[in-house]
Amino acid sequence: MGFNWKVAGCAGVLSLGVALSSSIASAAEIYIPNLSYRTGPFAATGIPLMNGQRDYVEMLNARDGGVGGAKLIFDECETGYNTNKGVECYEKTKSKAVVTQPWSTGITLQVLPRTNVDKIPILAPGYGFSPMADGEVFAWAFNPPISYWDGASMILNYISDGDLSSLNGKKVALLHLDHPFGKEPIPLIEKLAEENGFEFLPIPVGLKEMQNQSAQWLQIRRERPDFVIMWGWGAMNAGAITEAVKTRYPMDQFVGVWWSGYDGDLKLVGEKGKGYKSISWNVPGSYPVMDDIKTHVVDAGNSLLDSPEDMNSVFYQRGIVISMILVEGIKAAQEKFGTPEINAEQLRWGLENLNITDEVLADLGMAGMTVPFSTSCTNHTGHGGGWMLEWNGTEFVQVSDKLMPDRAVIEPLEKAKAAEYAESNAPWPDRSALPCE
Amino acid sequence: MLYDVLIDPFVQMFALPDFFLQVLWEGFVSGVLYALIALGFVLIYKSSRIFNFAQGIMVVFSALTLVGLHSMGVPAIAAVPLTLLVMYLLAMSIERVVLRPLVNQPDIILFMATIGITLFLIGFGQLVFGGDNKVMITEQLGIPTGAFELEPFGGFVLIEQKDLTAVTLAILLVVGLLVFLNKTKMGRAIRALGDDHQAALSVGISLSTIWVLVWFIAGVIALVTGVVWGARAGVSFALEVIAYKALPVLMLGGLESVSGAIVGGIAIGILEKIFEIYWGQPFLGGNTETWFPFIFALLVLLFRPQGLFGERIIERI
Repeated sequence: MGFNWKVAGCAGVLSLGVALSSSIASAAEIYIPNLSYRTGPFAATGIPLMNGQRDYVEMLNARDGGVGGAKLIFDECETGYNTNKGVECYEKTKSKAVVTQPWSTGITLQVLPRTNVDKIPILAPGYGFSPMADGEVFAWAFNPPISYWDGASMILNYISDGDLSSLNGKKVALLHLDHPFGKEPIPLIEKLAEENGFEFLPIPVGLKEMQNQSAQWLQIRRERPDFVIMWGWGAMNAGAITEAVKTRYPMDQFVGVWWSGYDGDLKLVGEKGKGYKSISWNVPGSYPVMDDIKTHVVDAGNSLLDSPEDMNSVFYQRGIVISMILVEGIKAAQEKFGTPEINAEQLRWGLENLNITDEVLADLGMAGMTVPFSTSCTNHTGHGGGWMLEWNGTEFVQVSDKLMPDRAVIEPLEKAKAAEYAESNAPWPDRSALPCE
Repeated sequence: MLYDVLIDPFVQMFALPDFFLQVLWEGFVSGVLYALIALGFVLIYKSSRIFNFAQGIMVVFSALTLVGLHSMGVPAIAAVPLTLLVMYLLAMSIERVVLRPLVNQPDIILFMATIGITLFLIGFGQLVFGGDNKVMITEQLGIPTGAFELEPFGGFVLIEQKDLTAVTLAILLVVGLLVFLNKTKMGRAIRALGDDHQAALSVGISLSTIWVLVWFIAGVIALVTGVVWGARAGVSFALEVIAYKALPVLMLGGLESVSGAIVGGIAIGILEKIFEIYWGQPFLGGNTETWFPFIFALLVLLFRPQGLFGERIIERI
């Protein structure tokens, strides 16, 4: 019987296929979707953040082949900052996802109960519902390194020089987006106003009024608040800053949350916006990690940035910090469970055991770029603090030492509101299935 | 309580007359800007019975084109006519690709087609110009950026020169449009088409020429709107949202009336501001501008279902 070349050929092709498929199967991958918004009224502020997130992941894939032997698959689902679309994106991505990054407080609140059932951790760095800090109630939700209530406390501490009683008899206005995100600091500021004797004046800005805030600034002219705190996002920030300039409201009495501190918004007013401040948990600058991103992603033509100069923006670098937090969670989980291809439940453990110290940041080439913090079973935020940045006419610069929130006041409120949330969403799962170690 | 609601707001208006004047001015400027957006809707509806959902994105697209061309090194003086050329090409493309194949289709189909145009322009605009916030080339266009400080009644009223420019531009545009619609052959053709397509076609009016012209004029209005709104808070896709402010104006003024768009816009601009400052903020927690214009327009519609200036439809069965 002669040699059958056809059979041998088929066998060869088959064995090659088997070899290829087994090698493909062995290449570990971790799917990390991002519910992003690069379109719509909030695109201007969303794009730099998403670019930063994406470029950090791309850099790790290009430089290190991923994380711990697993390639990171960064996938964006466009929400346009619309809550309904955000929920659709969550549903669409959840089957493969190890995490959900909802990118809006409204979407976070919608998917929060679902993540308990689907067993997918929510990662909402610097946004979301402040009581998510209470890990004993919100086992699947994380909002490091600081919450909105931490931010409000830090801003009030800054404007009162660390003594809230000095605000007694003064008036503090909160110019906020009329949206779950904008309303988030209200319970804490109301409490602090009552305890410290200052008048609190919330001033909502509707989505359709973001670019024409004359009524809100006429109110500010009439009420003459001693300070205006801004909880704005997207086009609202630029609208408010131009109105503040027009109304000649003193810029040194105008402070924004970290989402209201985008260079692109301030460039609209330039010199006239000098003195405007924004609390931040990252400081823009030249860090070693930025060089790696430039080499492996931007110069390699894999970035979505319009120009390499955009790498210096506060928001782009914040996007990098956000991806770093996620990746550190992945690393912690890989180490604990001894597998490169972790699942969502393992990542939940990783995010609950983050320990981002100064040394870790230095190793990552990010020393001084963001605040060190650590999470635990009971603390899903880390409460790392932040710095005050000031617009000097051309860029944001750091103008304060590290500021910390007043945890003694915030924590009881967090506990109470977390319990209230669990009660109103009963039966809310307790942590008996996920006991604290 | 009754005193606080019914009397005190008026007392405040007289007690701080300079502040009241500022409220009136801000309301007037807002109203003129709303009227500008509404005009774009009216013009297209008048000639083709299409409710143009794409008017908002046309504002964004025209403003982005102007700023984009300038950022590519085109001087402002040349960027304006080039932007107008782009808007003309857009009008031609819309007529050729979208409207012409849909002639004689029900109104809802044409309305849906304008939603398609909106989605296309969002994607195309984003692809070409990016989604970031851009600074309007206010000074390069010769729009003054200072402010006049008046001191009536011992107080102060601030009038921004760019707001004054916006008002002047809007007045010029409206006067030009009224003259065009009422005194020129083309204008009469547009009105004839609005009254009866078949009759207009039977006397030799070219549907496609008029549609291109009308969409181009809507593009010019969109450009002016984009420049004046962009000068206030930058140029981004968020500008699209302001188109929704035109809806109560159209309800109030009627979909077919240029005068209705102007009077409705100014009335809503001033009234929503007065209501927000003297009643909304003290009693209702503010942000009443999002709903007050609709309630006001609905109240007017209860008594005049065709709007302030809309045509009364009498159908004999």
